[in-house]
Parts: sequence; C-alpha cells; structure tokens
Amino acid sequence: MKFWEIGKRNLKEIYRNPVLLGFLLGMPLAFMLVFCAAAGGGQAGPIALSIVDEDRSQTSSAFIQTLGSIEAIELNEPIYSEKSQGQEDLEDGRISLYLFIPSGFEEAAQARQTINLELAYKEADPMIGLQLKPIIEAVGSEFLGVVPPLNVELKGTESKIKNMAVNFYAPGIAVFGLMILISTAAGIIAGDREKGFLARMFTTPARPWDFILGYSLPFIPVLIVSTLIYLGVGMALGLTVVGNLGHAFLIFFLIGLCSIGIGMIVGSLVKSESQTGVSWIFIVPMAMISGAWFTVDRMPSAIKSVAGALPFIHAIDASRAVLNGSSFSAIILDFYWLIGWAVVLFAVGIVLFRRTMVS
Amino acid sequence: MNAVQTFKLTKKFNGLVAVNGVDLEINKGELFSLLGPNGAGKTTTIRMLCCLLKPTKGTASVLGYDVVKTPFSVKRLIGVSPQDTILSERLNCWENLALIGKVHGLSSDEVARRSKELLETMGLMERAKDQVRKFSGGMKRRLSIAMALVSDPQVLFLDEPTLGLDPQARRAIWEYIAELKGKKTILLTTHYMEEADFLSDRIGIIDEGRVVALGTSQELKTNRLEMRSMVVSTENLTAEVIADLQSKYSRLEKTKGRLKIYHKDLDFKGIVDYLHSRGVTVYSAALEQPTLEDVFIQITGKKLRD
Repeated sequence: MKFWEIGKRNLKEIYRNPVLLGFLLGMPLAFMLVFCAAAGGGQAGPIALSIVDEDRSQTSSAFIQTLGSIEAIELNEPIYSEKSQGQEDLEDGRISLYLFIPSGFEEAAQARQTINLELAYKEADPMIGLQLKPIIEAVGSEFLGVVPPLNVELKGTESKIKNMAVNFYAPGIAVFGLMILISTAAGIIAGDREKGFLARMFTTPARPWDFILGYSLPFIPVLIVSTLIYLGVGMALGLTVVGNLGHAFLIFFLIGLCSIGIGMIVGSLVKSESQTGVSWIFIVPMAMISGAWFTVDRMPSAIKSVAGALPFIHAIDASRAVLNGSSFSAIILDFYWLIGWAVVLFAVGIVLFRRTMVS
Repeated sequence: MNAVQTFKLTKKFNGLVAVNGVDLEINKGELFSLLGPNGAGKTTTIRMLCCLLKPTKGTASVLGYDVVKTPFSVKRLIGVSPQDTILSERLNCWENLALIGKVHGLSSDEVARRSKELLETMGLMERAKDQVRKFSGGMKRRLSIAMALVSDPQVLFLDEPTLGLDPQARRAIWEYIAELKGKKTILLTTHYMEEADFLSDRIGIIDEGRVVALGTSQELKTNRLEMRSMVVSTENLTAEVIADLQSKYSRLEKTKGRLKIYHKDLDFKGIVDYLHSRGVTVYSAALEQPTLEDVFIQITGKKLRD
C-alpha cells in the first residue's frame, strides 16, 4: 500500500493549496455561471417561432397547433404559406427563425414515411436553432408517431427540458472543467520533478506502480467532487436532467481519466512546473473544437475530423445526449471511444512517467 | 564486506565526464566525506549510489547489493538527505516522516515511535504539527535528515547537509550527525572543509570527477601536504618586495595588509628578517596549522570555493 501513502500526500498537497483548488474548481464554475446565466438561467422564456406551411393540410394545422401548445414555443402570426415569405422576413430580421413544413407532409405522415422539416435560422444566432431542434423533433415524433430523420432519441417530451441552452452549455463546461485536470496533474508531477521531491521518493523502495497510482488516484476524488459540483451548479442554473444522471457521471468520469492521463504525459515531458502552461496550448483549442461552447457543425471538415478523433467531443456529445434523455445504447460508441482513449493515454503516461525514474 | 564500494564508477552526460572511474571502499559504521568544489562530481556519485542515475561505466554496491542490478534491495537499506532540502511543503513534520517511513514498509506504530524520537532529537517537536513551508532553512534541513533516518537505514547518504545554513544552524546539524557516528555508515558530501574535518573518519578529495586524495584528515595533512604556510600582517609592502618573494617561494597570496606564503621548507625567521631588511613593517607573523583547503590547493592548484 505504498501507493496509498504517496497518493495521500498528493491529495493533501492539492486540497491544502487554496490557489490550486480555487483554479481547479473556480474557473469552470465561473464559466458555468457566465454561460448559463447568459442563456437565461432557469427562467427561460418561450422562443418565438414562425411557420411556413406549404402543405396546408389538416395534419399540418394540427401539428402547428400542437407546437403552439408547447410552453417553450410562442407561435408568430401569421402562418406563411410560401417559403419565400418566411425567408424574406428572416433575412430582414423581422423573425428569428421559421419552421418549414413542405407539401406532402400529410401524405408522408399517413404513409408513415420519414418527414423532413427544415428549421431556418440566422447564421449569426445558431443557438436558437439548436435549442428548438430537439423540441420540434420530440413534438413531431409524438404527434406523428414517426421517427424523424434527426439523430436524437426521445424520452418523455421536450417540455421536460426547461432551457436547451443550459442543457447545451452545462455539459460542455463540465467537460472543459475536467480538462483543467490536465494542467493540474501535469503541474504536480512536473513540480515534484523540478523540486527534486520525486527524486527523493525514487530513493525509497517504492515501485513504479506505487508512483503511478500515487500520482493518479488522488485526482479521482477531485474528479468526482468536481463533477458533482458542475452537475449541481448546472441544475441550480436550469440544467434539466431528463435521462440517466449516472450515465452522464460515467462519461464525465471517463473524460476526467483521459485528462489525468494527458496530465501525466505532459508532466513527464516538460522540464519544469512553469512549463506546464504548455497544457493550455492543448486545453483551449481542444475545448474550442470539441463543441464545449458552440457547435462544431459548421466547422471545416478537417477540423471536425480532428475533433472527432479526440475524446472530448465524444464526452460532450454523449453527456448532452444522456442528460437530454438518450439511452446508453445511443452513446455506446462514444463510450467505447472514451474507454479506448483513457487506456491509451494512461499507458503512454505510465511509460513516460517510468522513464523519469532513472536517467 | 564493505558497506559501500564503487568499481571504476563513471558517469558521462552528453560526453561530459562528471564522475571518472571512482574507486571507493567505505567500511561499515564509518563516516566518509567526499570533499570537493561545486561541480566536482560529489552529487552525481551519490545519485548513482542511490540508484537515481545509471553509471555509464563501472558499478557500485551497497552492503553487497549492486546498485544497477538490484536497485530495490539497495533502496531498502539506505536513507537519503538530498542536497536541496526537499520536503512536502504542505505536510507537517509527522506527515513527512510518515510518508517516508511507510513507503519503507514501517508500521504506523513504528513510524510514530521513530518520528517522536527523531523530532525530539532534532528539536522539532514544538513545531511538529505545522506545515513545513513555514519553517526556516535550518529546521527544514533537520527535518530532511530526520526523514533520511526514519526508516532506520544501515547506510545514510547526506548530500551537502549544511549547504546555505548560518554557522549556528550548521554547528547544530554537525552535532546531530556526530551522534550517529559508529551507529550508521554515512557518506557525506560537502565543499566545507571544516565540516569534513570535524565529522569524518576518512575523507576523499574529489575534483573534476576523480578522487585525487584519500585518507583521514590527519593523514592528508601530514602525508599529502608538502608545503607549509605562514601569515604575515604587514605595512609598506612594495611591488618589488612582492616580486622578490614570488620568485623565491612556491605560492603567495596577498590581501590588504596580509601576506600568506606557501613553501615546502618554510624559513619563518628568514622571511621576517628579509621583510625587516626591506623596510616592511611586520605587525605579526605566524606559521599556520595546515588545513584541508591547503591540501586541496596543493593537489589541484585551486581553492575549494573557486
């Protein structure tokens, strides 16, 4: 149990260091407060939605009525009968977005065929579309009894999600917060190397595994507490948990492990504690292209490919999905991806950390 | 069996030779000092003996265990106080001692008993519950030595144990180390000749990675010191007189009002008479007791603190 003693020491070094702890928890909390508060916190007002109904059938009218009955939506009058009218008003800024119901809607509904609806919004304000998309999908599915061609599985109804923006931001910021573990883990390892503490410990009969466990396990309670805080604060600010909170927690846990693994790698490679600032060269761009703050849908395909290869976008997408009601099977690929990354990063981290023991 | 033995121990860093074929034999219970200036290879030697560095050539053994082949057997037997006072700054004395003790496999009871003894011996009991980041340099150094001792090691490595301390704190640590003499095998590195002189059973003088002299302090001073030195306090020294002295004697050091002359067969009276004859006022003149510094200067041609 030598690793336990090393781990206890490292945990004490973390929780007795108010600056480190403040940074670790404070920064993402500040982000959470700013983003979620900017998104309206828990007091979300309805979104004004315009409709273009080219089908003009009984079914389309009934669908529009259903949409109007949703708390999160306030229907604009009048209902356009031609798409060009809605587009003109959108471009003129008279409306924020419109839902286009194409002709053939009723027929497709009766034939139980896939229905394609178009939600048009201003590019300058993509969030509003993102907020409404799952609501419309949910209402559409329930109303029509068909699965629309959108990759969101529904559980319950969209009305359970009080504020889609908060449900968008909170998981992203939580993952960003857990990415800060990269810098913290790297800082502790590099600092102990720089000050010679690791060298001193290497003169004791502790084995490599004692150090590896001793320098990774203390971050587990930090990771758990951080995740609980992010989820708690997120819920206080209006995060609606429709799905399984445990699944979301598991995703956060896995991405936290990935961050600790990267931290071990950086901490073993950089020469001094001050150089752990290099972690931020990875953290910020990775957070940017992982959809923590804004969607990556409109990014160039090359960047999307890079983002897709990294673990963070999978953690963010999967945690958003399970919080919004998706089943675990719907995120199983993201889950495997995260497990794979955690194993690879820890393996590389262990190899590099071991190399620091004897030169 | 020797407690510590090195066999042509060599370490190169990027082609630069830090330790060059060092052969040492340290007996059980002996306090052996490696004396040398900064960069002489003292710390590199200790780091190889503690299994932190792999020798480029040669090897070493600690109580019969090879440092390269059986590092964990070596680590079980040694205690190390590194050159920089390396502690866990946000832990208190008890916690720092417990960390090292338990990693060495001591039980909680053993750790508590050993820690109590050491904290009392080192005069740290009053501050034992304070985080060590608030400690003075001397207190940290004492705790560092206590950490090296908590596992009751058979061989103790003390790398510059009084580096940067004021004379009072240095003297206190010398006393703690002196108490350990005979009980532990101790390898101490230092560039303070007084420290080596005061504490050591034997001294190895190391320079540029080589052990250039080995013996007790007295042996080194008697056998290796071919030159004696005298100090003269003077006034009216002229350049002409100095040049004359330099031509006659092996080495001359002149500071304001003070002249130090080194030579094999030092003619004390002749020098004083010569100075008087050249009109130099001589306030005092005395033959100096030889020091390890003198030995070092003679062997290497430079000062320990150069």
